[in-house]
Amino acid sequence: MSEHEASHQAMAEMLALAAAGALDIQEQRRLEEHARECPACRREMEIWSGYSQGLRRLPQPAIPAQLVERTRTRLVQERAAAADRRWDELMLGALALFAWTVGLTFWFVARIVTGGELVIMGANLVRFGTWSAGSTVLVWLTAAVAAIALGRRRREFRRVL
Amino acid sequence: MILAAAMNPEAFNCAQDAIARMRRGDPDALAAMISRYQHRLYRYLLRLVREPAAADDLFQQTWLRVMEKIGRYDASRNFESWLFSVAHNLAIDAWRGKRGESLDDAGDSGEAAGARLPSRDPDALERLLDFERGAMLAACMHELPAIHREVLTLRFEEDMKLEEIAEVAGVPLSTVKSRLKRALEGLRAAMDARLPGGPRT
Repeated sequence: MSEHEASHQAMAEMLALAAAGALDIQEQRRLEEHARECPACRREMEIWSGYSQGLRRLPQPAIPAQLVERTRTRLVQERAAAADRRWDELMLGALALFAWTVGLTFWFVARIVTGGELVIMGANLVRFGTWSAGSTVLVWLTAAVAAIALGRRRREFRRVL
Repeated sequence: MILAAAMNPEAFNCAQDAIARMRRGDPDALAAMISRYQHRLYRYLLRLVREPAAADDLFQQTWLRVMEKIGRYDASRNFESWLFSVAHNLAIDAWRGKRGESLDDAGDSGEAAGARLPSRDPDALERLLDFERGAMLAACMHELPAIHREVLTLRFEEDMKLEEIAEVAGVPLSTVKSRLKRALEGLRAAMDARLPGGPRT
């Protein structure tokens, strides 16, 4: 391949990108200089320019009916659901705190009433370790029941929507 | 895009104000932005995924994600690039869920499309002008791989700079250039193949 042919080939490779305005200034200048001397590349440039113009004037798709309204409605619902989730989390946290407070209070009361010893099935229930383990199990069970109830309510809410 | 904003500072300030209000959780500002970008975003998604129902769903998901992430949006970035990149990422997720592969895998074989398709007809465009050029061009574009449709629509319909396209697609500038080149060559080859009198083989 001669030097001229190689140069022509290199320039021809840049024609599509030139149509997309994707060449840098130097590349664009080199291409234009080459095209002034090369009828084939000039012709190609015109064709690519036609593609460029055609792509800028493609038929425009119609927006589906009510798309914007449906999106707004979905956003409102999502906002409400997010607010519900935040409220549920807050409530669960508050309930857990309340349960621990009640558990601790009852522990103090139980210790005073029983004199520090309430043995059932070989375990002293008013020992701090036993009491807090029992309270933890109780709190987790309550939280699980609450979470199931909230989940059911949310599913019901979504089904209605 | 930035140039356009500089040429129309009023519109730019208006958009910045709407973005600031969105970040404060103003639902009216979000609604205004949805209206403002509805045509462009829907067109981009439709070009990308081709199915109206999927584009419709992704459009809604994009705004849900925008609402969720607007607090983390860096105001120094171009909002349009950010918005389209959110849509792009959701489309990729949807694609992965549906096909078990990424959008980027779809047809990006590394081989120039022009090399795989029939040879070019230099008179193609002139003959094409006698037909319904736009519709045919759109139909040919429809046949291209998703990543090629994406760069074409972002470059020619959205008039985005290459850097902005790179930001949306999450790829280097050199990849954007190579995709653009392959997309245009593929488009031209597809047009040549469709025209009466067909490509010379």
